[in-house]
Amino acid sequence: MDVALVAFVNGIVLSSIYVMVALGFALLLSIMGIFNFAHGAIYMIGAFVTYGLAHSLGLNQWVSVLLSMVLVGGFGLFLERFCFRPFAGKVFNVIVMSIALILILETFVVTQFGGSQRSLSAFLPGNLKIGVVSISADRIMIIGVGLILLVVLTLLIQRSKIGQQMLAVSQDREGAALIGINVNRTAAIAMVLACVLAALSGSFMSSLYYLGPFMGDSILLKAIEVVILSGIGSIGGVLLGGVIVGFMDAFLPLYMDPLLAQAITIGIIIAILLVRPKGLFGYELF
Amino acid sequence: MLRAIKWESWQGKLAGYGLLSLVMLLLPVFGISVYYIHILIGVFIYIIMTASLRLVSLSGQISLGHAGFMCAGAYTSAVISKDLGWSPWLTIPLATLLSFILAYLVAIPFTRLRGLYFTMISLFFGMAVLAINEVFQKITGGQSGFVGIPTLFGYSKTPYYYFFFALLAVCLLVMYRIEHSRIGFTWKAIAQSHVIASSTGINENRQRILCFAIGGLFAGLAGATYAHYYVVISTTTFGFFTSIYIFVYMMVGGINSFNGPIVGTTVILLSQVFARSLKEYVPFILAGVLLVFLYLMPQGLTGLAERSRIWLNKLRSRGGEVSGKGISNGAA
Repeated sequence: MDVALVAFVNGIVLSSIYVMVALGFALLLSIMGIFNFAHGAIYMIGAFVTYGLAHSLGLNQWVSVLLSMVLVGGFGLFLERFCFRPFAGKVFNVIVMSIALILILETFVVTQFGGSQRSLSAFLPGNLKIGVVSISADRIMIIGVGLILLVVLTLLIQRSKIGQQMLAVSQDREGAALIGINVNRTAAIAMVLACVLAALSGSFMSSLYYLGPFMGDSILLKAIEVVILSGIGSIGGVLLGGVIVGFMDAFLPLYMDPLLAQAITIGIIIAILLVRPKGLFGYELF
Repeated sequence: MLRAIKWESWQGKLAGYGLLSLVMLLLPVFGISVYYIHILIGVFIYIIMTASLRLVSLSGQISLGHAGFMCAGAYTSAVISKDLGWSPWLTIPLATLLSFILAYLVAIPFTRLRGLYFTMISLFFGMAVLAINEVFQKITGGQSGFVGIPTLFGYSKTPYYYFFFALLAVCLLVMYRIEHSRIGFTWKAIAQSHVIASSTGINENRQRILCFAIGGLFAGLAGATYAHYYVVISTTTFGFFTSIYIFVYMMVGGINSFNGPIVGTTVILLSQVFARSLKEYVPFILAGVLLVFLYLMPQGLTGLAERSRIWLNKLRSRGGEVSGKGISNGAA
């Protein structure tokens, strides 16, 4: 029972992180039509900027997260304009570009901070006791922030003008341009949003788990899994996809060998791609 | 006149490849260091990988899980030759055949998907091979590695150098013949438009499966020989990023030319070797190469050579009649 409760809390934490990262990835995929393999590296850079501001400059950790979100968001603006826009429509050139970005960002961090693993100090120190189980306050805080952000993002996408524009562009790029939507501006906003979310979730995850130059690789694969599960182009589906993958990650290792659990997860993803390539909720993009 | 040009270009090509081969064959005789022989063997193996990936992409299927077949070939040959004691000369063809069959079986469902969806499923196929491998880590060793694989020629490097050079030459020759045969043109037709290709009577699915399977065969061969040369293999060698790097070598070399994979792999791998004194800054060199490729020569290195040849020809014949010689010379 206690183990199941801990796994449940972990499942929610992982789900909210996965949803935040995968949402950024899905926005870029559906709006700009790009496969941004560098999304994991951006997540890692966000965490390291927070670490650098908090530990080297001695700022408050909350302030440094906010600053990191601003800085990485600005970096996203640069990326969209100079790295991705020149190769619009060339999917495979964009993959090469994102590999170059991964190499640059990871190597930069390795040379500046070294390859060792470290971790951010907790945002909210202390533990919460539920019965016999104690859960760190950090996890509860992440769940809260994650839920609030998800509600805000859903409202932003479903209700606001820019969100509607994003949906329009993701459904039909030419059609959206035809009715006067500035496609490039929409793409830039999506990129900034994706980078901000990645920076925030990277900082949160590195206070719970660890901080290292290669921490982005595994989360990138998780984001791709979520996006495939929910379907390319379906932003609402990402929420459910993230919850499914997050809970699978939290619960499967309890009942079997983690390596087997990983193999089963990949098997499910392949099966979904074969049976229903547009994912559980999406529509075919190409 | 036309005949003369044709003959000339054919002769030039043969002379170029022959001269290159001669230089490569004489390198150990003139005593380059063992270190460089080792590096060149690695380059040869990765050229086979990259060229086979390009063979797969001829039919319009971009695979990001190609290292999965390398992994399958390497582990099949390594496990059988070590645990059952078979000769590596027997297990290498066996592993090659098995990766062909694996690729064939996998391609039957995978070819339902096209474009980016195919790319994604191939990516997850590559990860699935690794995950299955790690589930059976009692046999394969998993991330800690599989050691004690029997060698082909002991521990001197020179025989391996000649062996891998011959293997590379044979593989490239076969791939060149396939590309310029009826099958190769069929694949290119499918890549351009699968609807028109099937309307002319091409069995699109069967051709795409065959294409993927032949690519898997060469990757399995490269993996099997890799295992018997390096003697230690681990799953980290065949991971997600290996597949991506092979893809990057192909793109940088130029996806439209047969020489692309050769040039791309050689340039990238050797540039990293020559820059090794920079230690942890070495990945910046690769990133620089990729950025130069993206912004300055989107057709790849071979595309750049092609363009400069056309430009030179134009310059030479300025004022006179414009000859199409430079264009007709090029590898399509």
